[in-house]
Amino acid sequence: MEVTVKIFRYNPEKDKRGNYVTYKVDADENDRVLDVLEYIKGKMDGALSFRRSCAHGVCGSDAMRINGRNMLACKVLVRDVGTNITVEPILGLPIKKDLIVDMEPFFDNYKKVLPYFINDSALPENGRERLQSPEERARFDETTKCILCAACTTSCPSFWANGEYYGPAAIVNAHRFIFDSRDEAADQRLQILAETDGIARCHTAYNCTVACPREIKVTKAIGEVKMAMMTGKLD
Amino acid sequence: MGLKRDVSLSTGLRYRGPAGYLTFILHRIGGLGMGIFITLHILASFVGGRFGGAINGIYENWAFQIFIFFCVMFHAINGLRITILDLFPKLLDYQTEAIWIEWAVFIPLYGISVFVILQTALGG
Repeated sequence: MEVTVKIFRYNPEKDKRGNYVTYKVDADENDRVLDVLEYIKGKMDGALSFRRSCAHGVCGSDAMRINGRNMLACKVLVRDVGTNITVEPILGLPIKKDLIVDMEPFFDNYKKVLPYFINDSALPENGRERLQSPEERARFDETTKCILCAACTTSCPSFWANGEYYGPAAIVNAHRFIFDSRDEAADQRLQILAETDGIARCHTAYNCTVACPREIKVTKAIGEVKMAMMTGKLD
Repeated sequence: MGLKRDVSLSTGLRYRGPAGYLTFILHRIGGLGMGIFITLHILASFVGGRFGGAINGIYENWAFQIFIFFCVMFHAINGLRITILDLFPKLLDYQTEAIWIEWAVFIPLYGISVFVILQTALGG
């Protein structure tokens, strides 16, 4: 089938603003949008720039706006988006070239919530790992799935309005450690999230939950962190 | 070099969000509408005279009342949904259903209100 693909283009060396270029591509309905982009780059326009790495929904490199909604280009099929496809960069991050955005502000926000394991107490007597029951592990299982693709954060209207807002991805990754029974820095993270640009800026638009390619219930995770903040309890 | 991160209002509104995004937008419109109403009300009382009377005329107009009733009622019902989901995060598993329930409550209540306003305004 013939697919019409309209792609946002921006060359920082030539353009003052972005524009759209349309390509006609012969594609199969089971092709992924990433395959279509690869075809355009390989056969039609080698200057087209976009990020991709694993191409299997694991690395999170190719988050982009496809027909107006954040998705991973490697996880969405042509048949799911139709024969008229518009591809644009994700919103709220500076655009470097075409579909490539500057991810640094996103990772700066991510780092603010201390997204790593913190436990300064002595190891168990046997000197081996800190044990955790299956139930304790299940408490934060959902949020371990995050691949930091930024699809959630860049779909959030609060983040569009204020780039200092930590954003859903940072809160999801805070959740992953706050509810980890082995971690000891939950209070510290909750204090960080209580700051002006923290969790209070979530206004439950749910764009993040729908945008997440890993189907993490992002708004629910944020809700659980809000509740932990209010009650001081982590159960 | 690169393009700045600015997201314009029109770009934001064109984002194809879920049902929750529509309620998010309507919630803001509701808040803005109530802000306009209260400002007009205070201004009319403060200024008085012909100018105050003219402002009173705006918000006593049935079309404005239908708009402001939408703002108040939607803001209240949507706010109630958000509060309930904030207090009981487990219910966030059913956020889509919660939005359907919200519309199921809002549409008949608002419909009856509009009917009463129109009947009073146009029926004499």
